Amino acid sequence: MSIIQTSQLCHRFSDGTQSLSDVSLTFKEGEFTVIAGANGSGKTTLLRHFNGLLFPESGSVSVCGISVKKDPQAARRHVGMVFQDSDSQIIGDTVYDDVAFGPENLRLERSLIDQRVTQALSDVNLAGFEEKKPHNLSGGEKRRLGIAGVLSMAPRVLLMDEPFSNLDYPATCTVLSQVLKLHQAGHTIIITTHDLEKVIAHAQRLIVMEKGCVVQDGRPEELVADIEQYGIRPPCSVQLGKGIQAWVN
Amino acid sequence: MLCSTRQGNSSMGELSVIGFKPGSSPLHQLDPRTKQLLLMVLSVAILWGDVPFLVIISIVLLSLSHLAHLRIHRLFLEIRYFLFFLLFVFVVRAVSFNDQWLPVITVDGAQEAMTICWRLLLVVFMGVLLMSTTRTADIRAALIWGMKPLPFVNERITATMVGLVVRLLPLILFQASEIGDAMRARGIERRKNPFIRLTIFTITLFRGVFLRADALVDSMQARCYSEYRTLPELSFSWNDTIAAGVGMLVLLTAFIS
Repeated sequence: MSIIQTSQLCHRFSDGTQSLSDVSLTFKEGEFTVIAGANGSGKTTLLRHFNGLLFPESGSVSVCGISVKKDPQAARRHVGMVFQDSDSQIIGDTVYDDVAFGPENLRLERSLIDQRVTQALSDVNLAGFEEKKPHNLSGGEKRRLGIAGVLSMAPRVLLMDEPFSNLDYPATCTVLSQVLKLHQAGHTIIITTHDLEKVIAHAQRLIVMEKGCVVQDGRPEELVADIEQYGIRPPCSVQLGKGIQAWVN
Repeated sequence: MLCSTRQGNSSMGELSVIGFKPGSSPLHQLDPRTKQLLLMVLSVAILWGDVPFLVIISIVLLSLSHLAHLRIHRLFLEIRYFLFFLLFVFVVRAVSFNDQWLPVITVDGAQEAMTICWRLLLVVFMGVLLMSTTRTADIRAALIWGMKPLPFVNERITATMVGLVVRLLPLILFQASEIGDAMRARGIERRKNPFIRLTIFTITLFRGVFLRADALVDSMQARCYSEYRTLPELSFSWNDTIAAGVGMLVLLTAFIS
């Protein structure tokens, strides 16, 4: 069953730059997709259309069969977005406040909000952090807080924009493990990255973007060998002829 | 002006003493409505009160800030630009001109100017205490509660605006200190003209603040932001009654003195 669908999606920034051209994609429920591309290839712009933060100049985007342009709030309920800059995503004064922000906007009862916050924090191993200041957390913890803030809204799809940028090795492993756990729990995952190394082994689908267009779409093992031509570095294991190898088990 | 020292404040976590700091001090435990009411009443009293009252309220506020683990020296560092403003107020109020148009400072004039600056500083200090011991969401909820009976006022929008200002203020201060550092790292001190330095600083700060505000708006929208959201549950307790009583006693000293 398809959960997100784009049809001939085009987008142009206010300065006239064409950021997306004729993008037609369908994402199935439960799929783990990586969207790769060099800087400025249109990855983040595409994600923002799924969450209703941007609207198409032409073409259409629908989430669960509902046009994002007609009902952006419905899209945001179904599709949660974790931003690249964790600090800009922090809204609350404490970890609890930040994770509760989404459910409060959905006007849930306080008892249900408390349940959701507890569950989301537990899902990302941040239980016990409720009264901490979000800005005091480490980079990896902030990234997991961003994921918890989205999980508390119980979305069906998780969009993650460069989730491993600026993270050290242990933090990357922890975030990656959490992402895999969420995928196993049934969430549809869409990750954008210019660095395939960490995540490609776990993806079921790889979409490559260049200059706002989708130039490749298929299984990672079929596409990864020739990916350098699009300005993306192939994983070390592939360069060494060992095929795609996982970062975490 | 942009070259004041800043000691080891580089992470977002240490961004400012202005802004909520989790804790369990007496002020943290009070209902935000009580704190807002006391802030309003005592601010008016401070603007009319004389020196003995100002001494009493200063002692009370310093004790409360100590209990709330608010670092006073950091606070003065954060509000240093406001202190320049106070200096300006002091000069304007204290200095007068004699018959030959020469500036003179009288003892009475200096005392009066000092009292005015003291009053303004105490009002700002109370605001900082409120912000550092009250969650932004609670401040917003208390404002909605307080403004509900007012006609022609959309209490939710007004409270959201106030909440965003409270939320953005520490971020703006952090951004300002980051820009100050970046400018110093590239030798801004070699530019001797303070107006050029101020212009460069202000333009960069505004651009940064607008970008930051944009990112915050995106983040809020992505999580279905709505003015009609579940509010925090507020409740008065005995602590609020005691605090209100103590506040009224302090207020009485303004009339007695």
